[in-house]
Amino acid sequence: MWNYIARRLLQSVIVIIGVTLISFIAMQIGGDPTYLFVSERATQEEIEAARRALGFDRPLHIQYLSFLGDLVQGDFGNSLSYRQPAMGIVLGALPATIELTFFSMFVAVVFAIPFGIFAALYRGTAIDGGIMAFAMLGQSIPGFWLGIMMILFFGLNLAWLPISGHVPFLMPLIQGDILTAIRNLPGALYYLIMPGLAIGFYSLARNARLVRSSMLEVLGQDYVRTARSKGITEGSVIVNHALRNAWLPVVTMIGLEFGFLLSGVVVIETVFSWPGIGRLVFNAINQRDIPVVQAAVIVLSLLFVALNLIVDLIYLRIDPRVKL
Amino acid sequence: MKRLSLVAAAGAATIALSPAAFGQPADDTIVVGLSADITTFEPAAISSRDNANIVRHIFGTLYTIDGDGAVIPDLAENLEISEDGLAYVYTLREGLTCHDGEALTAEDVAYSFNRAKDPENAFTGNTPGFVFSSVGFQDAEALDELRVQINIERKNPIAFGLLAEVYVHCKDSYEAMTLDEAASNPVGSGSYRLASWVRGSEVVLEKVNDPGTFERMIWRIIPEASTRSAELIAGNVDIITNVAPDQIDAINASDAAQVEAIQGTRRMYVGFNLSEPFAEMPGGDAIQDPDVRRALQYAVDVPTICRQLLNFECERATGLVNIPNANPNLEPYPYDPDLAETLLDEAGWPRASDGTRFSIRLQAGRGRYLNDQNVVLAIAQYLEDVGLEVEVDLMEWASVYVPLIRERNVGPLFFLGSGGGLWSPLYDMTDLARADSGTNYTHWDDERWFSRWADISAAQSPEEQRVVIDEMLEVFYEDGPWLHLYFQPDFYGVSSRIDWQPRPDEKVYLFNASLAQ
Repeated sequence: MWNYIARRLLQSVIVIIGVTLISFIAMQIGGDPTYLFVSERATQEEIEAARRALGFDRPLHIQYLSFLGDLVQGDFGNSLSYRQPAMGIVLGALPATIELTFFSMFVAVVFAIPFGIFAALYRGTAIDGGIMAFAMLGQSIPGFWLGIMMILFFGLNLAWLPISGHVPFLMPLIQGDILTAIRNLPGALYYLIMPGLAIGFYSLARNARLVRSSMLEVLGQDYVRTARSKGITEGSVIVNHALRNAWLPVVTMIGLEFGFLLSGVVVIETVFSWPGIGRLVFNAINQRDIPVVQAAVIVLSLLFVALNLIVDLIYLRIDPRVKL
Repeated sequence: MKRLSLVAAAGAATIALSPAAFGQPADDTIVVGLSADITTFEPAAISSRDNANIVRHIFGTLYTIDGDGAVIPDLAENLEISEDGLAYVYTLREGLTCHDGEALTAEDVAYSFNRAKDPENAFTGNTPGFVFSSVGFQDAEALDELRVQINIERKNPIAFGLLAEVYVHCKDSYEAMTLDEAASNPVGSGSYRLASWVRGSEVVLEKVNDPGTFERMIWRIIPEASTRSAELIAGNVDIITNVAPDQIDAINASDAAQVEAIQGTRRMYVGFNLSEPFAEMPGGDAIQDPDVRRALQYAVDVPTICRQLLNFECERATGLVNIPNANPNLEPYPYDPDLAETLLDEAGWPRASDGTRFSIRLQAGRGRYLNDQNVVLAIAQYLEDVGLEVEVDLMEWASVYVPLIRERNVGPLFFLGSGGGLWSPLYDMTDLARADSGTNYTHWDDERWFSRWADISAAQSPEEQRVVIDEMLEVFYEDGPWLHLYFQPDFYGVSSRIDWQPRPDEKVYLFNASLAQ
């Protein structure tokens, strides 16, 4: 097991180095970054002087090595827009995105399982058809459109839910202000409902289909038939015997799901004015705020790699048949 | 059953405990929905309009210019300019105080100017990047408690108005802060002070001085246009900026708000890049000829573009100066495609057998200006109607188009907007202060324009200066490097509970906003 973890960690380091290289090159493609540091009316001499002072006149591989050297110390430099350390700004926006991502993951998993089970148990009936039609709808509707429709219906017409905004829960918790976190929790959940559903709906639909097909496969297995012949209640057969095995592909999916949900937050955070890392990166790219983009890409990559590693370890735990 | 009751109780508690953040604002509070994020409260680093709109409520300036271009004293009550035009001595009002409780004196003003220029701070905001480079700022010194002298290196007829854009901040507090700390802890002397800032979400200001009607201002960041409109119609927000044209009818149809449209001061144009590398490109040679550039002015139906694509009846520009200050003898070019074709024939660019006169590329960024993509496509179609073959090159704005613009490496035709003002024609003309100026994206170098700046500086009276300006504007109109378009309209959504009039210069100042009677 420890060998496996060490091997996975090594793979993760290679992935992260690849990510740093891609993010470094991607930001160079946009043109000479010196122009970001001088005023619009700067003379050619001022631009040249700034280029030398900032080290942008050095060969690219030297700039990259220097960038890596700073990176291992967590120093991405100051944001060009915020004029504060880029890493601090990224970490400040991260809790809001984690709240949103985990909530939508929760929606995508918790609702998908009963839908999938019912569709499998009532295969070929109207219930199955209805659930699969619902799943097809979920996979066909773009998240931003669903978000806007929910705003108009639940936010504007019915006035049941807030149209946009955010109440922080995780940030006060991280800062040790537990009372504020508890006080904010109901509001935080209230504000999470619409953006969480808008992001999670696609995954919910996909997971429901996945659970359905896994359940159908498992329900035809000999051990399920054996369990039934022993007189075990149908509920127990489904939960303790069938679902336990049908659940495995879903667990594999959750790790990948996180990356998908993170890519979704860029748009949904914009639609719902959610102050998370997706919007931060989007704005930083627009403003060519290189330090913030690079810090955000590295942080998200680390998070993605770490979560996949955790999922793999969980998988190992719940399915002892897997040999490492 | 018991479990169900618990779930129901928890749900009810969730709703009951939820903050009423999405309820209507209180009577002493005004809420504004902005489209762009706020990045800093560092007065010398601010460059975006949305950022400046908030910060102006926190920091005072020596003078201020209202929406009609009139000059109004702010922190200063008097100004004397030396005979050589290089020293500006301001006298401050008595009794000014900073938000930190200290008296605001000439020392604070001098510090504000010198700190913005200090190369160690490496500020690139509007003050050092635009104001100081335009006026050739040298230094500032406190003459006594109330008098401060600003020294500039060359006489500049619009220095006064530019210096009025510098935010005055308070020396003691800023000397005690690092640059990182100063970016989020503004200490000024304006009507409001910063109460809280949740990055990417909202800024809350609290009133400390007059002028100002509301006790609290909340500036919410709502980037998506349809979400802003929904918040306005729901009554959660009082004013929104950048209403999308397709949402105007929905807002006006509600009882909650109306859209206020105003012709802005941002000058929209198609530039002709006249630099040598571009002259060697297809079409680049043709536009070197002023007769061709003039012919193309007749080819584009600007009022129709405004009406159909911008939902606004606009007045076509005659040059780079906003209409109230433009040369009154110049009439906007009419839409006359037949005349355009005749002039192109006469200029030596007849239609070839395939009906084409010459090919040319039109470059533009996407998503920066109102309906820009469709405007660019419409312009290209109008040019094709008179025989040009136009290759439209629409690019991502920030990371692709802006770097090309900054390097003055875009064209041969390019679509762009440039912020302007109403208080002086010279303010609008400073885009072309020098042939090698970073904002002369066209590389235009007509001596009949650039040699006249000396005449403006030497003019003995405003009337004499006006004569020179009008002559320059005539040259720009006839042979200039812009295909004149329009001044971009601005659309604001204003709640019916609020009395507030938008300004044409994109400045959202709320000092005079009040509850509707």
